[in-house]
Amino acid sequence: MGPESRARRLSAAALTATLAVLIAACAPAHPNSIFHNHTDFNREVGHLWNILFWLGSFVFVFVETLLVVTLIRFRKREGQPAPQQVHGNARLEILWTITPAVILAFIAVPSVETIFRTEAPAPANALQVTVIGHQWWWEFDYPTLGFKTANEVYLPIGRTVNFTLKSADVIHSFWIPELGGKRDVVSNRTNYLWYTPDSVSDDVFNGFCAEYCGTSHANMRFKAFTVSQAEFDSWAKHEASPAVALDTGSTPRASARTAAAAPQAAPSTASFIAFDRSKIPAYAVPATPIPAGLTIDSTLVGNPVEGEKLMATSMDALCMSCHTIRGNPRMAGVIGPDLTHIASRSSIAGGLFPNDRHHLELWIKNARLMKPGVKMYTFGVGQFDPETGKTSTYGKLTDQQIADIVAYLQTLK
Amino acid sequence: MATTAAAPLYTSTYEGSQRGLWSWITTVDHKRIGILYLITALTFFLIGGTEAEIIRMQLMHPNGALVSADTFNELFTMHGTTMIFLVVMPLSAAFFNILIPLQIGARDVAFPRLNAFSYWVFLFGGVFINLSWFLGAAPDGGWFSYVPLTTLQFNPGLNIDFWVLGIQILGVSSLAAAFNFITTIINMRAPGMNLMRMPMFTWMAFIVQFMLILAFPVLTIALVFLQFDRFFGTQFYELAAGADPLLWQHLFWIFGHPEVYILILPAFGLVSEVLPTFSQKPLFGYPVMVYSGILIAFLGFGVWAHHMFAVGMGPVADSVFGVTTLLIGIPTGVKIFNWIFTMWGGNVRYTVACKFAIALVALFTIGGISGVMHASPPADLQQTDTYFIVAHFHYVLFGGSIMGIFAGIYYYYPKFVGRLMSEKLGNWHFWLTFIAMNLTFFPMHFSGLAGMPRRVYRYDAGQGFDLYNLISSYGAFLLAFATLLFVINFIRSWKKGAVAGRNPWNAPTLEWSMPSPPPDYNFAEIPTVTSRYPLWDSKGVVVKQKEDEPIKSARELGIAMPLNTIKPLLVGLFMTLMFSGLLFIHKNNWPMAYTFIFGGAACMVASLYSWLLSPVE
Repeated sequence: MGPESRARRLSAAALTATLAVLIAACAPAHPNSIFHNHTDFNREVGHLWNILFWLGSFVFVFVETLLVVTLIRFRKREGQPAPQQVHGNARLEILWTITPAVILAFIAVPSVETIFRTEAPAPANALQVTVIGHQWWWEFDYPTLGFKTANEVYLPIGRTVNFTLKSADVIHSFWIPELGGKRDVVSNRTNYLWYTPDSVSDDVFNGFCAEYCGTSHANMRFKAFTVSQAEFDSWAKHEASPAVALDTGSTPRASARTAAAAPQAAPSTASFIAFDRSKIPAYAVPATPIPAGLTIDSTLVGNPVEGEKLMATSMDALCMSCHTIRGNPRMAGVIGPDLTHIASRSSIAGGLFPNDRHHLELWIKNARLMKPGVKMYTFGVGQFDPETGKTSTYGKLTDQQIADIVAYLQTLK
Repeated sequence: MATTAAAPLYTSTYEGSQRGLWSWITTVDHKRIGILYLITALTFFLIGGTEAEIIRMQLMHPNGALVSADTFNELFTMHGTTMIFLVVMPLSAAFFNILIPLQIGARDVAFPRLNAFSYWVFLFGGVFINLSWFLGAAPDGGWFSYVPLTTLQFNPGLNIDFWVLGIQILGVSSLAAAFNFITTIINMRAPGMNLMRMPMFTWMAFIVQFMLILAFPVLTIALVFLQFDRFFGTQFYELAAGADPLLWQHLFWIFGHPEVYILILPAFGLVSEVLPTFSQKPLFGYPVMVYSGILIAFLGFGVWAHHMFAVGMGPVADSVFGVTTLLIGIPTGVKIFNWIFTMWGGNVRYTVACKFAIALVALFTIGGISGVMHASPPADLQQTDTYFIVAHFHYVLFGGSIMGIFAGIYYYYPKFVGRLMSEKLGNWHFWLTFIAMNLTFFPMHFSGLAGMPRRVYRYDAGQGFDLYNLISSYGAFLLAFATLLFVINFIRSWKKGAVAGRNPWNAPTLEWSMPSPPPDYNFAEIPTVTSRYPLWDSKGVVVKQKEDEPIKSARELGIAMPLNTIKPLLVGLFMTLMFSGLLFIHKNNWPMAYTFIFGGAACMVASLYSWLLSPVE
């Protein structure tokens, strides 16, 4: 049996070495690690994790060592007498019943303490953000500040944020690993999650949907931006302002309804309206490949005035039936993301693509090819609709019209 | 110990009508049914494994594009469903069938024809679910099928219908088998085989049967609600009618967590047979092993909501379920130590079976430790629904259940085939599996802690997931190769393995006292048992039939044997057809629906009557 135990030792050593190399090799690049102490919540979890990890490691080393020692020491050798027929040992068995119980008590007590701390009601002065999970994007409503946005949430550093979690359809789960644990977004229920991003600088964090929610579960991502209170206030002021009307005088057409619905506030003069795109780290810039065969003529020059007209009035584009652009009275749909300040966001489509002209154009041309299962129709003329398996019956927009729409969207800073 | 016979004795004990395909289709012999379970479940293991390999190919690199999002969702749903309901549960059932009557000194199970029925229902249920692939509508709601995602509103296709109906069908099989084995164990033990002399595998099997009959009905209720919602317009899970989706989650996990122990306890039982034999020492702390098994089962019904720490149950529920979950660690830890101390002081022979059993002890410990890590609810909020959980339960289910089952296969193969599996090939299988298993699942701890959510069909580069996924994928490919070696070994040894004889391992329990493979009637004369380890204790068992005597047939011995019958198969078949009629409702094909449902029901009732009216023996 000699060679075999040698093989066992060798393979154990090889395994350990591999793991050590592994851990060493990838230590730096973990942009979504749960181990970052950016919030009170993650410090609590980190504290528990330390207890769990060290006790777990101790048990692991103890049990596996005992096992290996037993295997080496009591392997069968030639000419050995028959082993003593031991049936048990009450004292030992009581020992290894009580010892785990004591170890587990060291886990249970701090766990329960932490549960009651982290699940207590949020402090009264917390920033309220209502998160609404949709298949497959995130809506962020700042009820006290009077605006909604999508897929990108801004949080002031040092202030507790209380997320009120609701679902528009199936169950999702709201998770920003670097800021805190996840909480499910359950249909017909309201959940809460709060923490304080208090030890961060201006930074960007990836968020994920963590509960399987259907076809594009993997494509339901978002970003959290932590900014200073002053920057946040400026950003919020800008977000609350209506979209700037195009200066051609063609929009919005005056009517009694418009006047009542959207008192024309002065265009925002906020200094900070979005996180500087050039400062967003690579891990927070989506790199989803564009589906093969989906192209658009990038030499076309879009006319924003035409684009606005298409969005707000065209039954070929249908944008107004799902999207809202505050300040544009015809754009009041509530099914899709609020587009009021879409140009100030860094990504589109549930954090799946960077927000630039090319991706926006392709998105409008064939969203369903860009993101499987998505509700938005395939609008490019003659485009194949993967949901129906046929040429899209909604495909009525030419590349020029799409370029016009995108030109308008890009004015919506 | 070795016999000089040239061929396995199995066939020689059967009379003419007991050979050929028809004899297998109509068999009511628990050993043959066990072999049918084993081979069917291993086939599903290859199917479920293939699904896993495709998943790993897709996730090997960032933004993989081998399969579409929908196909990926079908793959992970079917991988989980297959491995749980069509692989580990029936593999355990294979051992229940082969071993329980032999271990307790019985001629067969209490209800041999019901036993055949259980197998055929399992087979048809498994085939039914997998037929969905050919209709392009494989289940895609995850193995947990959370509502409302699986309601008609969000999933109008046939996908979930296949899942709901298939699991219902499989539930019938499990429940029928559970009642059968409980009756067998309670009523049919040989004289002197009191409960505390029962072999540990039979003990664990006994516990598992009670868990099945307590847990499965809860799932059945949840499924009936969903089924009625989908087919008949009830509103148990209808959001617009104010349904609370947590109803499903509670019902599902009240089944789902005991299910975890239903999957692992039989493997614990097998390991508790293997380790004493190869240490040539009794199981350390037999009574404590029994009690800890019972305790695990009991506590297993009180921890379900630890799957739901993120759903917002409130601090009190989170605390209670966190603590009960921690408690389960105690009896489990006791088992680990008792196994180690079974080997302590022994003469441990490292056969392949023994290595797999040791691997269970080593690897289940890792799964147990990571399990404790997410028993702490606040910590779990950072772990649940990430790859950390995927790592955890693969250490429990692959490192635990599958390793234990492999140990059982290598150990008992000579008993039910009459020939030994190749140790050389087996060693390759073991070491490659051991290495590949860790290579596949250990990095998943890291990808989970690095923030990778579960059930995603693609991820971006540069998120800290790339390397771990690459290693996992290579591990999975190596695992596939190792499994191929097992398949070769399993098939080749059937005809070409070394002849085993009655007791090739010098094992202590009753099943090793009879020829390998045992004759259809098992014991020529029911033995009297006076000890826990009858074959090690010279006075422990009275075996009348000597090894060198030719094996007599049941007729020669005057033993009445149950007659072969096709009727359990027919009942199972028509029941499955009856269920499948519901599918036509969603195709708006009412004539076909009526034909299948009422035709299937009528034929099922007719074959049931015919079964009940046909003589037993």
